[in-house]
This record gives sequence, structure tokens and C-alpha cells, in this order.
Amino acid sequence: MRWFLMSAVLFTICGAAYAAGDPLTHGMKLYEQRHYEEAASLLRQSLATAGADRLGGINLALGMTYLKSATLHRELQQTSALIYYDYLKRLGTGQGKGGSHFVDLYLAELLLDNDKPGEAAPLLERFLLGENLPAKYLAIAKAELGLCYHLQGDQDKAKQLWEAVVATDPEVQGALAAVFGRAGMAEREPLAMCDKAVAAAKKGGKKIPMRLLKDALAVYTSLSQTDKGLDLIRNADLRTYSYEEKLGKNKTIYFYDLALLEVLTKLYGQAALTYLARSAADPKLRETAEYYLGEAHYRFGSLEQASRFSAASAAAGKLPASYRGRANVREAAILFRQGHRAEAVKEWEGLALKQPADPELLAEAVAACAELRAEAPKLLQRATAAAESGEGKKFFSVNAALGGYYLSRKNYAKAVTFMEAGRDKGNKNKIEANDPLLLVELAEAYYRTKKFSESQEIYFEMGKQFPQVRQIQDALQGIYSREQKSAGDVRIF
Amino acid sequence: MKKIWIALLMCTILFAMTVASQAARKGDARQHGGTLSYGEYGRPATLDPITSNEMISLRLTELIFNGLVGINEKQEIVPELAERWEISKDGRTYTFYLRKDVTWHPREGEAVQKFNADDVIFTYRIMKHPKTITPLKVRYEFIETAEKLDDSTVRFTLKRPILNALAKFSFKIIPQHGPRNPDFLTREDPFVQHPIGTGPYMLQSITADREIVLVANENYFKGRPHIDRFVSKPFADQNIMTQALVYNAIDMIVLVNPRDIPEIQGNKNFILQPYNALSYSFFGYNMRDPLLADKRVRKAFTCAVNRQEMLDSFFNGQGTIISGPFAPGSWAYNLDVQPIPYDPQQAIKLLTEAGFTRGADGIMQKGGKRLSLSLKVPIEKESEAVKRVVLAFKNYLKNIGVEIKVEFKEWQAWKEDVFLEHDFDIIYASWVFDDSADISSLFHSAEIGPWKNNFGGYSNPEIDSLIVESKLTLDHEKRRTINRKLHALLAEETPYTFLWTLTNYTAYQKKVRRVAIHPYKFFSFADDWFIAEKEQK
Repeated sequence: MRWFLMSAVLFTICGAAYAAGDPLTHGMKLYEQRHYEEAASLLRQSLATAGADRLGGINLALGMTYLKSATLHRELQQTSALIYYDYLKRLGTGQGKGGSHFVDLYLAELLLDNDKPGEAAPLLERFLLGENLPAKYLAIAKAELGLCYHLQGDQDKAKQLWEAVVATDPEVQGALAAVFGRAGMAEREPLAMCDKAVAAAKKGGKKIPMRLLKDALAVYTSLSQTDKGLDLIRNADLRTYSYEEKLGKNKTIYFYDLALLEVLTKLYGQAALTYLARSAADPKLRETAEYYLGEAHYRFGSLEQASRFSAASAAAGKLPASYRGRANVREAAILFRQGHRAEAVKEWEGLALKQPADPELLAEAVAACAELRAEAPKLLQRATAAAESGEGKKFFSVNAALGGYYLSRKNYAKAVTFMEAGRDKGNKNKIEANDPLLLVELAEAYYRTKKFSESQEIYFEMGKQFPQVRQIQDALQGIYSREQKSAGDVRIF
Repeated sequence: MKKIWIALLMCTILFAMTVASQAARKGDARQHGGTLSYGEYGRPATLDPITSNEMISLRLTELIFNGLVGINEKQEIVPELAERWEISKDGRTYTFYLRKDVTWHPREGEAVQKFNADDVIFTYRIMKHPKTITPLKVRYEFIETAEKLDDSTVRFTLKRPILNALAKFSFKIIPQHGPRNPDFLTREDPFVQHPIGTGPYMLQSITADREIVLVANENYFKGRPHIDRFVSKPFADQNIMTQALVYNAIDMIVLVNPRDIPEIQGNKNFILQPYNALSYSFFGYNMRDPLLADKRVRKAFTCAVNRQEMLDSFFNGQGTIISGPFAPGSWAYNLDVQPIPYDPQQAIKLLTEAGFTRGADGIMQKGGKRLSLSLKVPIEKESEAVKRVVLAFKNYLKNIGVEIKVEFKEWQAWKEDVFLEHDFDIIYASWVFDDSADISSLFHSAEIGPWKNNFGGYSNPEIDSLIVESKLTLDHEKRRTINRKLHALLAEETPYTFLWTLTNYTAYQKKVRRVAIHPYKFFSFADDWFIAEKEQK
């Protein structure tokens, strides 16, 4: 079914006569293989030279790619928040002689990103008391401590700190710009500050430091400077650490910017909305584009717009029935988010009863319930029955969705069972054969059940296409090394 | 006198009651009965936990023996033969209080004997004895003394506190009355072929076909296991093993050939369950040969081999190419080290730099010595895929002017050639690790010698020093950094051509229920498995 849908979309986008060398066709192939970064890069480049008849298709393909990418990055960000936070906390307990100083800074930034300035401030204060620390990082910590005070209502203390920051280094300028952007201080011109910092950092063909990249993206996305953001990450190595703390000859700790995944989510979400809106201007593509616009708004835009587009898709005669069914599922999800919970559940359960033979639709509805923590017992019953009696790849999606449902309910053992059933075992962790969203959720379930090496292997494969998962891999290795309880055995096989 | 007799009788009755109540204690409603036959990749050389260094034995010893502590599914250390323990504040003294209700598997014609502290001290001493053939010595160097405090209490004093020490007391305990030789254990001792333990299953027989039959231990201290019999069936050919499962000749395969996963995946009668054994395959070099002692030669061999092509062609791409001495699922894998790329031109360049020139027969030579080497492969690995791998290796090396003579050897003979006699140039094999990612026995120079794991005789002071530092540190991040360095150094040194880690799945008939797999030891939780009565053979 999914193959059929994809073929239908491909046909709509590319037209009947697409050639193998055509960037649009190639881009859609990469999209199908879940090589989102490659697909987006290729499609975006092709915009400049594409003829008018191809522009709408390229915009639609780009919008779809960024939508998938944004959704994946949101999931990655949530996983990283869990694992990286856990790691930093453990690292923090080992402070003292030979311990890390920078764990305070990175833990504070994580808390600040999670709107916990009260918890972040003492860590930054402690970091600032450290001896022999690089001036750049002390300045960054001051800027962020100022933000903590600002968010807690102490403007004077914040101002005092900000004025004491010497912002000659591009990374400090970037940090300050992000702080002003977050504090809503447009008069400080965070955009101009960022541009200046980025230009200075790039001088001599140098790569932008990861910290500046993250801060600049935060400012650009907050001001909807989507193209600027996309240009900035084009040649960046997203696996790079943010800081390397050397604590002796044989002890080095790498710190990563957790916020990177969050800003990438926002950036790709904005890009999805932009390109899908452009493609909707093409009358031939309007219905398909609006279907995806409904989803993009539901996830990254306005709920009102999501409702409008989803209603239109549900009634669009030219869309395949399965697309209309999915639009119905989304409409119910919107109702749920608007507070009409009983109505939403009734709608999902009604769909499950009407189309019990469509595992994809069941999967969509169960996934919506999982995401919204909604209870729909009849739907769950239908989906479980379908998963247990169904055979073959057709039922992977419903197993995967049920796994996600149990993960959201913290029933990790059941989550693992269903998600393993939803994974292509012949291509265990390959993103070309498995939805990366499933793999990320399965990796979380493995992490929660302390099957660290399974989780690690998923990210090992995923890292080949999405290098930004390095922060998760590193944190996971750190936790695994502490948690493992084995005797030190090795055997020949 | 009469009073003594009555007291003795009471003790006997109480003991019997204790045993009976313990045996009946597994308080679930699952049915007993049935036989589980599983396919193995060969016959184990020994069945005891001390002399063996292979996975086939490990799986069996997991059913037959217990350690002082165990590790449960949640990665927690749990009591086994020790019901509790105390650790001194300085982390150097571990006192174990032993269960008093454990008995050894009975031997024909012998009275049932109870497990006690003497067995623990005996196991430790025999393991450390210089004449005992075991790869375990290196693991227990951290112990300074072992003392019996009373019949049910033992105390270990460590030379220094180490990370994760408690887990190391999961080594299996053997009975003092087990081995014929009370001082040391070798592969000639009858005990290694007919062991007795305290575990959920007892060795019943080894058939003429070398099938190993284990039966449930009615007196198992955690309660009688549910399944009556486990039968280990050796298969030389992996393809036959899958067919045996499909046609119900066996109930389980411990490791499915990756090529067969799609076939089993499509069959509703079987469960395919992943488990992540941290393993990898490699070509290992004998550095006692002066030609192979040159790093450039070993690196040339690695450059000459197209590993991705082999993985794709022979294993349907179901695995991952690795760059160093750790498996990718391990916490110690250095993610920044990339596998050496396939580059035959670079391989020839390296050989030329090492002083080799092409001879008239196309084979590289140096000082009149042809670069012609033996590759020894155990016969249990004589599966179709392995045959293709070694033949491909031979061809890749032929392309750069190296002659490889492949020799398939019977498993025991292969092990003797590799680990005892060191009579080989190159081997093809795989290592499987537990979670600790401990490579010290593979690459430390102190581990060169008969029946030790550093079979290739690799010696490098820098590696030795890092390994020692890694073992001594109590700092997790320091240990991680050292392992990253070890990975990078060994990738460059290429004592092995590191190949790949394959996808691990076990497959079993749906009738086997409540199957939980230990990713390394496999059968750790098998006493809880069961087969519903109507499906028992």
C-alpha cells in the first residue's frame, strides 16, 4: 500500500516522463530511501536551473523531504534530551579532582533550553568560579547566566552581566545574539550580530564552530530566516563536538550541543511549510501539496491551518482514498488537541471499524493516539488483532505504531516486542528498509530496557546518513560503559 | 549414641525437606515437560567452564553451572550461589555468604554432595594454578587472596579496587570433588568431558553423533526448570541447520545464518529474535613470521580486501564493516576511526615499500622468500558463506601477488594449531565479547603462550601500557578515552584484518514460550522457558 501511495505521489510530482538523471526523480528516490539530507541538498540545488514546469514538483518534493526530516529530528531531539541529560547528570556526579568543569556549562544549557532557568543558574555560577578556564567560555556562561536572570525577572542583574561580556570572539557574539533573541530583545539586533559572527568565523575558509552554528540557527529560525539557515548548514559537519575537555593525558570528554537537534527541527519544519506552500500554487499539485501542508501545519505550524488543509484533503475527490482516510485521522487529532477528546476518539474508533483491513490507516490512528497520549481502547483492540493475525511487510506499520503506543505508555517490554515485529529483520537497522522514526523509538525502548548495544547499533547505522546523531551515540556509550556489568569474557567462535 | 543418630536423622530429613521445598519453589503455573533440541555450529572441545574458550561450551556451561552472582535481564547483579555479600568501604574486600541449600548434580554411585565454601576456594585456586589450561587467569589477576571464613562464607581481598568488580564474581563454580586431579585442570581430566555443576540442567549423555543431552535438575535451588531436556545438536553446515529447523528436526538455532533470515522471517511458525552478541570476524596474522611482523604487509592485506563486496555478496549485506578491535554495538568503539578502504594499488605500494618485488611466477618475494602463506579455517566454519569468504580472500591477495593456501581443519585440531602450537600464518575466525569490551587477553603481550588468546604473538609496549592503565583506572571517562586510543592504534597496527559484525538472530519454534536470551551467554534465563503441554514432543 505504501509503495502504491509513493508511486502515486511520484507520478503526481514527476509526471509521466521522468528520466533517471532528472534531479527531481533522483531526489524522490533518495527521499524514498530516507536519505533526507542528500535529497534536500540535491533538490534545493536544482531549483536554480529548473524549468517552470518542474518548479512545482521540486518544491513539493522539497517540502515532503523537509517535513520527514523535521519529524525525525524532533524524535531525535527528544531521545537526545533523555539520554544526553542522563549522561551529563552521571558525569556531574564524578566531579571533584580530575572531574569535568564543563559538565556544569552543558548541563545548565540543557536546563535553560528546557525552560528551567532557576536550575540552570546555580550551575553557571559554579562554572564561573572555575579556575584556568578559557575566557571565551566564561563569557558565554555570563551571557547565559544573564538570560537565566532575565527569564526569572531580574533585568538589572541580567543587564549587568551582559554588559560585562567581551564579545570579540565569534562564538561569544553568537551566544550573545542567541541570548538576546531568546529574551526577545530585538533592539540588540541579534540577526545582525549573528551575521557578523558567522562572517568572522568563516574568514579564511574555516568551518563554523558547532556552538556558533547552533546559536546562529536559533536566531535565524526565530526570525524565519529559513534560507539563511539552510545555507549555513550546507557544508557543516554535524557530527562535530562542541567542546573537547582534556583532563590529563588519557582523559578527554567531548561535549555536544543538544540544542542543535532542536534548531534543526525548527529549521526543517519551517522549510517544509515554505516549500509546500510554494508547491500548492501549482494547480496540478495543489491537492497533494495541501495534504502535506495539513500535516506540516499540524506538526510545525498553526493548528487552524492544519484543520483547514486537512478538511480540504478529506473532501478532495482526486486524492486516493487512503490519503483521505489519513486526513480524517489528522482531523481527529486536531480535535483532540483542541480539547474535543471524546469526539476525536469516536472518530478514530469509527475509522478503525469502517476500514479494519487497512493496516496503514490503523497505524496512523494508533500513532496519533500514542503522540497525544489518547486512550482509544476499541482502536487498540482492532490494531492489536490486525498485528497479531497479519502476516508480511504490510503489517509492519501497525506493529510499529503499537510499539510507539506502548513506548508512550512506558510499557517498554511490549514496545520492544511490537517494534521488533515491525522491523524488517532482513535489513535490521537499515533506514532504506525501515522508517527511521521506528528505529529511533526502538532505540529508546532498548535504552529503557538497558539493551544498550542494540540501541547503539541502530545509531551506528543511522549515523551513516544522519551524522548529527553522534551526540546520542557518545552519550549512549558513556552510559553503557557505566551500566554494563560483565566479567570481561571473550570467546572464539 | 542414640541421640547422635536421631540428630543425624533429623538433619537428613531437614536437608531433604529443604531440597524438596526449594525444588518446588518456582512459583509459576507453567507446565513442565518437553524437549528442546537446538542446532549448534559444532562440537565443544570441553564442557567445563574453566578450560573452554569457545561459545559452544559457554552456552552449555550456562545451563550446567552457577556463579556466586548472576546478572539478570535488567543488567542488575543478583544473588546466585551467594545469597548476599558485603563490600568493604575501601572496595578491596568482598565477603560472600553462600546458600546452604545447594547440591551438586549427583554422580552415579555417589551420595549427593552439598555445595560449600571449599568449592569456591577450590575453583579459584585451580583457575589460578600455573598448570591449569584456561584463558581466565588474566581476568582474576586483581584478586590477592581468597579465604574460607566458614562453610558458607568466603572472603576475597583484591589487590586494589577496580571498576565493576562484583560482576567478575559471576565465574562458574566447580565442585572440589569434580576433577580427578585436585591441583590443576587440563583438557585430559575426565571432568572436562563429564562435568557436574549446580545449574538447572545436568549432563545426561553424549551420543555417538556427539549430541549432548542435558536433563532437568529436579533439585535446582531456584526451582526445577520447566523443560525436561535440552539437546545440543552439532551441524557442520549452516544451510542444513536452517532446513532442520524448517522441517522440525530441531526447535531452535542459536545463531541464524544471515542469508536465511528472509526465509524464516516469512514463516509464521517461527520466532526470530534479535540479540546483540558483541562479535566480529577477522583474519588474524601470526606475527612470529618475520614477513607478517611487518605492519606494512598486514596493512597491505587489509587494503587488498574488498570487505563491503564480501559482506554484500556472501551475507546479503546483513552486517557492518568494522574499523578496529571492538564491535560497533560496544561502548568502546571509536566512532571516529573509519575502516581502511579497499585499495589494491595502495596494497601493492605498501608491499613494495616493505621490500617485496614480483617474482617470475607473479608472486611477491623478498630476499628469495616467496610471499606464500597458509590460511587455516576450522571445519565447523565450512559453511558455504565462509568458504566463499576465504576463497575471495585468496583471490584478492592473489591480485596483489600473494599466494594463500587454504586449509580446513577439524575444530579441535584447528584450535591446537592456533592456540597451542601456533602453527599457522593466517586464520579466519570470530571473537564474541561480553559487555565489558575487554580486549586485554587478545593483544597484551603477557597473553602470548599456549592456550592464550593472543595467538598471533602481537607485542607492543604502547598497547600493553594502555591496557594496564585501562584496567587500573576507576574513572569511566578515562577508560573510555583509553579504549578510543586502543581502537585507533590497533586499527593502524592491523594485527588482524578486521572484517565485520553480522546481524545476530536466534530462531525458534513458536511452541517454546517465555524465551529471554542473554546476548552473550544465551541460556542464562532458560530455566524459565517452557513448552505448553499439548505441544511437547
